[in-house]
Amino acid sequence: MEAFLRHWLEWPAVAAFINANAWAWPLCETLHFFGIILLIGGVGIFDLRILGMGKGLPPEALKRLLPWGVYGFILCAVTGLTFVTGVRANVPMSPYDLIRTDPWLQLKLLFIALAGVNLVAFYATGMARRVDELGANDDAPGLAKAIAGASLFLWLGVIYFGRLIPEAL
Amino acid sequence: MFDVLAAIENSGFATWVRETPSVLGYSTVLALHTFGMSFLVGLSAMMALRSLGFARNLPLAPMEKFYPLVIAGFWVNALTGVILTMLAAVSLFRNPDFYIKLAAIAGAIVTLLMLHRELFEQRVALDSAGRAPLKTRIVAVAMLLFWTIAVSAGRLTAYSNYVRIRTVAAIVIALALMVAVRHVVARVLSMGTQTLAPVAPPATNR
Repeated sequence: MEAFLRHWLEWPAVAAFINANAWAWPLCETLHFFGIILLIGGVGIFDLRILGMGKGLPPEALKRLLPWGVYGFILCAVTGLTFVTGVRANVPMSPYDLIRTDPWLQLKLLFIALAGVNLVAFYATGMARRVDELGANDDAPGLAKAIAGASLFLWLGVIYFGRLIPEAL
Repeated sequence: MFDVLAAIENSGFATWVRETPSVLGYSTVLALHTFGMSFLVGLSAMMALRSLGFARNLPLAPMEKFYPLVIAGFWVNALTGVILTMLAAVSLFRNPDFYIKLAAIAGAIVTLLMLHRELFEQRVALDSAGRAPLKTRIVAVAMLLFWTIAVSAGRLTAYSNYVRIRTVAAIVIALALMVAVRHVVARVLSMGTQTLAPVAPPATNR
């Protein structure tokens, strides 16, 4: 299993590309930031509305901003995978050892997974539909508020732990 | 001037933030700077996008409720930005990239204030496509451009001029590609639905 992961997580082509092009790593870093901005802008504004801020906004119409958040997540995921699979371009260690030894990266991945579970819960509990039916100035159900609060907390946690990753290198 | 900057850089506070093994030093200040950025830029960008006609059924006026969070994000970043500047004061004030970042932030704040005035105080009328008038849209696009420059320049202060110039070219190309991809995806996703579903009239700004 270890040998499999060691082999499978390492992408020499990615590291070689980063090594060959000085702009590749800072480009990914900058796009990672654009992604964070779109994610917190698009998803955060929806979470805040469910929590009761800007209640005059009907969630059904506000949902049209969510694709920007999804776009941000995709940007972060692609550039983030580049950082991990191509880590050897920057630090002399394998991606497997990076994931195995860096507690901040582990916490970050855990929080991303929890944010995913939280999103599934939003639909599975029927809260997504209840929120859809809310008009302007309607209050969201308590469970929807808990899920929205968890979403904000988890994404900010992802940003925080992401910033701490170099601490353990 | 650089003597003063060196003294600031070597002060006890700056040295502690820079060199403490605790995660509550440098990394936490950086993380707070990222939180501030995501609220300041993220939420103001959503207001700009709405004024450009995205989410056209969304009433604009209640979006002002998020404006205090935008301002809070600015002050968090002003404070953490001053702290981060203290840690490497001499090299930053010799770095042209740092001045570009500061100028872009100034431009972004001016256009943000203009956007706020036009959208939420003057309450400019929205057209049949749910867009603000051309003048307001120009302000919104200018603000998005200023933020793009500010965030990119901020990220690039850590690199050499050689890397910086190449990265700027790469960012411009990547952004052009992303806008093109978004356009194509939006076209594909809306294919068919435009003729099937009756389109609700866009929100007004009254």
